[in-house]
Amino acid sequence: MSRIFEHPILMRRSARTVRFYFEGKELEAVEGETVAAALIANGIDVFGETERGKPRGFFCAIGKCSSCLMIVDGEPNVRVCITPVKEGMKVQRQFGRSGVPW
Amino acid sequence: MVKTQLLVVGGGPAGLCGAIEASRRGVETLIVDEGVELGGQLVKQTHKFFGHEGFYASVRGFEIAKRLKDQLNEHVKIMLQTTVTGIYEDVVVLYDRQNDVPLEVQADYILLATGASERFIQFENNHLPGVYGAGAVQTLMNQFMVLPGRRFLMVGSGNIGLIVSYQLLQAGAEVAAIVEIADRIGGYDVHLRKIKRFGIPVLLRHTIKKALGQEKVSGAIVVQVDENFQPIEGTEKEFAVDAICIATGLVPSVELAAMANVKIEYVPELGGFVPYRDQNMRTNVENIFIAGDLAGIEEATTAMIEGRIAGLTIAQSITKANLSREIESLQRELIEFRSGPFSEKVRRGLAKFFPQRVVEYSREPQVDSGPVGKLRPIIECYENIPCNPCQTSCPTGAIVVGGNINSLPKIDYEKCTGCGICVSKCPGLAIFMVQENVEPGFDLVIVPYEMLPVPEEGERVIALDRDGKQVCEAQVIRIVRFPHKTNLVHLKVPAGYATRVRNFRVKKQENVFVCKCEEVTLEDIEKAIDLGFTDYEELRRYLRIGMGMCGGRTCRSLVLSILSRKLGKSPEELLKGHFRPPVMPTKFESILRGESNED
Amino acid sequence: MKTEYRIIIVGAGIVGCSIAYHLAKFGESDVLVLEKNYISSGSTGRCAGGIRQQWSSPHNVLLAMRSVKLFERMREETGFDIEYRQGGYLVLSYDEQEAAQFEENVKMQKNLGLNVELLTPNQVKQRFEYVNVEKVLLATFCPTDGHANPHLANFAYAFAARKLGVTILTHTEVLAIEPTGSKFKVHTSRGRFEAKIVVNAAGAYAGQVGSMVNVNLPLESYRHQILVTEPIRNFFDPMLISFSGNFYIRQTKHGHFIMGQGDKDERPGLNYNVTFKFEKDLAKKMCWLLPFLRTLRVVRHWSGHYNMSPDAQPIIGESPELANFYYAVGFSGHGFMLAPAVGEALAEKVLFGETKHVSIAELNVDRFERSTVRETNVV
Repeated sequence: MSRIFEHPILMRRSARTVRFYFEGKELEAVEGETVAAALIANGIDVFGETERGKPRGFFCAIGKCSSCLMIVDGEPNVRVCITPVKEGMKVQRQFGRSGVPW
Repeated sequence: MVKTQLLVVGGGPAGLCGAIEASRRGVETLIVDEGVELGGQLVKQTHKFFGHEGFYASVRGFEIAKRLKDQLNEHVKIMLQTTVTGIYEDVVVLYDRQNDVPLEVQADYILLATGASERFIQFENNHLPGVYGAGAVQTLMNQFMVLPGRRFLMVGSGNIGLIVSYQLLQAGAEVAAIVEIADRIGGYDVHLRKIKRFGIPVLLRHTIKKALGQEKVSGAIVVQVDENFQPIEGTEKEFAVDAICIATGLVPSVELAAMANVKIEYVPELGGFVPYRDQNMRTNVENIFIAGDLAGIEEATTAMIEGRIAGLTIAQSITKANLSREIESLQRELIEFRSGPFSEKVRRGLAKFFPQRVVEYSREPQVDSGPVGKLRPIIECYENIPCNPCQTSCPTGAIVVGGNINSLPKIDYEKCTGCGICVSKCPGLAIFMVQENVEPGFDLVIVPYEMLPVPEEGERVIALDRDGKQVCEAQVIRIVRFPHKTNLVHLKVPAGYATRVRNFRVKKQENVFVCKCEEVTLEDIEKAIDLGFTDYEELRRYLRIGMGMCGGRTCRSLVLSILSRKLGKSPEELLKGHFRPPVMPTKFESILRGESNED
Repeated sequence: MKTEYRIIIVGAGIVGCSIAYHLAKFGESDVLVLEKNYISSGSTGRCAGGIRQQWSSPHNVLLAMRSVKLFERMREETGFDIEYRQGGYLVLSYDEQEAAQFEENVKMQKNLGLNVELLTPNQVKQRFEYVNVEKVLLATFCPTDGHANPHLANFAYAFAARKLGVTILTHTEVLAIEPTGSKFKVHTSRGRFEAKIVVNAAGAYAGQVGSMVNVNLPLESYRHQILVTEPIRNFFDPMLISFSGNFYIRQTKHGHFIMGQGDKDERPGLNYNVTFKFEKDLAKKMCWLLPFLRTLRVVRHWSGHYNMSPDAQPIIGESPELANFYYAVGFSGHGFMLAPAVGEALAEKVLFGETKHVSIAELNVDRFERSTVRETNVV
């Protein structure tokens, strides 16, 4: 939704940015953050759809609940809440089960 | 194949403390954690911890994580972004996510400190993006500094619900309300008071019925419940929120323990299914230990003590050194920490594993509010929670919690010098300083403040009472800043208000537009007047007020009244500014059409 | 209240404020600026904000070139963003005699070091496709010409001068000035002030201020009307102007088009009213020149004054008849763009007895006793 730039207690740890792609669109992320954090910071909260077509976002942010599965660099079912974002990474929404890998 | 004497699964407070105690005694230790950094949930805790100095009372959670990491020695190896995928009959398998490779480990001892996961609850549309676990919101907000919403509904009033609500305010978000299905608040009274001072409504006997929205959350419907927690028809309330935060509890992560043949029992008081363990945190499987939330949902302080007990017991088994004195001392700490009313439920749960003892404490609150006119602290701490930094930080020994950490603090106003250290140290932000008649007609109130914006000295602010209600105007006369970021704000309030004022709100309001066409705010205008602009026309030329499509019809009188107020001039003394045609913007082609009609 | 100053300046338009700022910048801050209304209430606050170096008279070219140097540094010097933009001035000629004169002007301007070029109508069309070049004979273009927000530039000098210790009193009208030999007594609506030196920077009211001390300045003020449209996305870089076509137009930073023309039938005198005839005439002319304007709405229309001198060049200097009485007046519609250089030059003249950057020696009032060549590049 938005980044927090001013906080009464915390300091930002890194200002270095990396570029990644969401559905082909180039976006900016802060080095060291997870893909989920980077997407939310860019206003993207719908990460995909379930098999029955229900929208899906993250829920636990610590890799436990599997609500945040996305396709990362072509690989489906990646838990983006515990996957650090990398320069040039390609992230796509996943719709239901992944496709046949051949 | 990797061999280690001790494998610690989970690098949160329990796992780190276990590793610290074992490695300090020479035990080769491997810590495996799923996250990108050690510390578990501590890294996202921005509040100051309760307890006593031995367990980092008054230190913020993320700072505690750093201090624990610093205590790991050369006997410790760490693997991050690594998940233990199974405790098999033959080996333990770690999956290294970064290198996408499994690693087989043989460990003589295993300390499982896998923590817990969020308890999910059932309501309509609970699948929508925007329905987030409270811990998840904390992770994003405090670890990555990203806010996943602007306006939140908090479901659950346990400590996590209350703390996360407070942290949302610190991060600049709004909390529309906290709903609690029970008839009483689940968390500490001091956490509740921190939230109430900002006027956040807490609805008891209410729960969420439905999340609104198609693609993502756009609102929530909340409903009152009866004694059997059933929704009462017709009591629905709608909240316009873009995020719903679920803080309805945690579920111990028992998977690995169960795979390792640890007996799993259903103990609702501890969070549901929990592994069996004894007082030394040893399970029914000889070389497997547990600690922290996995052993029962509790606070980080008890998790740290449990981790230490487990680490010491494991070290004792490996090194054959006699560590019983250290272990017993920590067990006594646990008994003391769990003696308060707040731990009653945990004690009931643990009683299923071994008998529980309690130590007595004083329930009497302070009644004396001190000599009127003296600068002195007022302690608003009425719940027996295990905490004593007020006592240990007082340089003159004026505050006494006593032999049992659950007792309520007592203050001897004769000994108190009014230094204010206790105010800045109290983790519950429950101590205030007052002094009546600091100058004729005015009292002084000093409040702890951990929000933005920090006002300036001299600034006038809106004083709030314990329920966040506006009571009067106050002037900030001094701000004492501390490295731990709890600022002490000295407020001058009208006489008689010292007993009521416990918080304040800065007046600075964003998005107060005076000229909507050109998006000029009240703040812009006040700043310009402070800079030296004195006329409507000067302000118009400087800020473009009235240069928009409306021709100044909306803003002119507003600007004149602001000028009149700021300059102390009556409206008649001010020039009204020019009025220029056309009153209705007119297209060139319309003007031309008129011209050709004339011809 | 302090009533004695070394220097009193009459008028807090951009000329008065620029003089005050430069005096203070050179170390003299014992300066009082008296303003009968508010800062930028006169011609500065009513002008279009063009900054042009393409003139027919060499004095004006040099003053304007120096001004451009100072405009370029203004944000840095004063801390105010004055919305300065060097988008060039495109000057269109519709008259054969004028076109011939343009070729001469460009030679002279180039000799003075100005980067300026002659364009054929086709070249104009190529670079500025939105301009209707019908009937255009010739054009000139100078890329370092441009525009700024005149209000902000006026405030920039005023606030920077105040910061350096200058006093500016607004709503203080000068009623009479009494020379007493060693000093001037200045009577105002807020009491009497005294100064050794008085500077007349009163814009449209400069003639009246001169006559208070019997210094005759050959000036007449003429009303000029101007209007502004609703804003659209910025795309229009240059100031587009024509003397023979009698118009000027530019797009402001905020997207509005600001435009105007002169009226040869206008009588001299002070008149702040506006006529609908002006809107009709300008609509017809500008929609023909720039057809995209047709659907734009006029949002405001007002008037200001050109304080005209007989040769349409400013009158700057110390009075030959009355020592210590200075003036920077008669800008003939171009005070805003010349103000930085003139303020600097006059401050130098007052403090050091001579100018250091650009000469104003030829611009004193006594030139009218000799022969002088009229500036023709005036709308």
